[in-house]
Amino acid sequence: MQNKSSLASSVGWALAVVLAIVFPLALSSIYWTSVLTKIIIYVLMAVSLRTIYLVGEFSLGHVGFMCVGAYTSALLTLKAGLPLALTLPVGGLLAGFTAFSLGYPFMRVKGIYFVILTVLTSESFRQLALNWKSLTGGIDGLIGFPGAGALSLPGIGQVDFGGPNEYYYLTLSVVCVSLYLLHRIEKSRLGFIWLAIRETDKMAGAVGINVLRYKVINFSVACFFAGIGGALLAHSEQALSAMEGASFGIMTTIYLLVYMVVGGRMRFEGPIVGTVVLSLVSEFTRPVEEYQPMIIGAIAIAVVMILPDGLSIIPEKIGLWRFKSLIAKSKTDLDPKTQEGL
Amino acid sequence: MNLPIEAIWQGLMNGLALGWIYVLMALGLTLIFGIMHIMQFAHGETYMLGAYVVYYLTASLGLSLLAAMALSMVVMAAVGLVLERLLFRPLKMDWASAVVGATGLTLILQSGSVVMFGLYHRNIPLLAQGPFNILGTVVPKDRIAAVVAAVVLSLALYLFLKLTEYGQAMVASAQNPEGAILQGISPNRMSALSMAIGCALAAAGGTLAGSLFNLSPYMGLVPLVKGITIIVLGGMGSLPGAFIAGMTLGLIDGLVPILFGAAWASIGPLLLVIGILVIKPQGFFGHAE
Repeated sequence: MQNKSSLASSVGWALAVVLAIVFPLALSSIYWTSVLTKIIIYVLMAVSLRTIYLVGEFSLGHVGFMCVGAYTSALLTLKAGLPLALTLPVGGLLAGFTAFSLGYPFMRVKGIYFVILTVLTSESFRQLALNWKSLTGGIDGLIGFPGAGALSLPGIGQVDFGGPNEYYYLTLSVVCVSLYLLHRIEKSRLGFIWLAIRETDKMAGAVGINVLRYKVINFSVACFFAGIGGALLAHSEQALSAMEGASFGIMTTIYLLVYMVVGGRMRFEGPIVGTVVLSLVSEFTRPVEEYQPMIIGAIAIAVVMILPDGLSIIPEKIGLWRFKSLIAKSKTDLDPKTQEGL
Repeated sequence: MNLPIEAIWQGLMNGLALGWIYVLMALGLTLIFGIMHIMQFAHGETYMLGAYVVYYLTASLGLSLLAAMALSMVVMAAVGLVLERLLFRPLKMDWASAVVGATGLTLILQSGSVVMFGLYHRNIPLLAQGPFNILGTVVPKDRIAAVVAAVVLSLALYLFLKLTEYGQAMVASAQNPEGAILQGISPNRMSALSMAIGCALAAAGGTLAGSLFNLSPYMGLVPLVKGITIIVLGGMGSLPGAFIAGMTLGLIDGLVPILFGAAWASIGPLLLVIGILVIKPQGFFGHAE
């Protein structure tokens, strides 16, 4: 059973990656490539948001750390002329470091109090980006910083990532590596400590786990990947704005939470499913654009009311249901004599 | 730095008016949280809708601002009752689901109002016209009127909670839900009451802000963030804490941009919250859970 399910999940992952590789070639439209790039970036954001949920906390401030990563990377390429291969990790590290320094005061509170603090953080970061005119361009935003350009890859040499398709594949590989790392961390000792903290933090403290420290590590790791996502987004759009309706507004942060919960917060693949499904819903409802948030909001409310464990639980539920009906069937089929023999 | 005294007075009065509007938001939020243990993230949308109701009442029915504000508070209280029954009561058990429910509601109400009202700014009548003389400095009258209206409403809430039977029942239900049930106080009825009062206060705040500045479908975000900041600073469920934190945030918004620049005003509340959390995690007047 264990082997079978792990085989099935490996096949599922491989299929997902193959689909992600083939799609832009099959669709061959710049528009769809840019949509897919955005979806892939939001997949990373939603999955790293779920990492925070591993210690039992929700964050409504993930987009703030995305903002830190995006502005860091954009400013470094614009003002210092550094290549993306350097600015991408630096953007992530700065976001992670910001989270690390905020983590010590923030992780002292739990539940809804933590949610409140994260909302405040992301709004403050956005307001700061909006008001710090000399650095971030203020209301005008930041434009004119370069895209990925040519990067030298070890073993392959110079590769040009300037085009939309090339940038998509760059994003896809960065996100795949990040997801792999997040998955490994979740299955490692660190991940189990996080789960222990989520289940009963007092007990975890009693058996000698430094709860605060591990929560801060968790927050920093998650926000590091949020910074990476932000940097990827910045160089994909090559324009940044801190206005209310733009990428770093409160709407995005709500969307990320909804993606995670609709997909299913208990499973690693949940946020991926949620992001892809809801992004496609948004994409196909583009003709009625002004109703999009309404549709997403209605889906979110319907899911928490009817299916609190999210969409990714559906195959399991169907499997369980089939298993149960199979047992019922085999019981009626069995000869009473053999049953007595058991 | 040489600033004219008028500019400082102006900032002070703006800050005072803003602070009281934030206090109205925070009172509703903390009331709802105290009873239902739900953070109503759609409270900013209630605030915005309350202001739009006033806009339609004054513009098309020609009601006076005060009458329209009272009517809008009643309308939003009814909306609050409906929301409590249909959305928040089923989600009350799991705080995480409630967060998603409330944020989903935010999406629905915000995009709904963009569709219905459009993105351009609108105005509702001023609270009062003309300047006012205090200590030889000229201050616009409408700021003072807003402060007075907000103080009256906050005081009314305070007296309601202290003196009436229903108010005492709400306090009891917030302090000890099981004990309150034993005394025959229905938690569901108290939840409904807290949502109704909270939404009415938000509508009043929205009206005051709408009359000082202008209306837009996104106007609810800033007061929502300020409201929840006040709750963290002042301590959950503490009325004096909410008052002091509200004044602090209002004065930061009014004075810091003039004195130090807008960037500091935007990061100030966050620094304040971090400072408070390091020193006293329960807020100014909060107590440990």
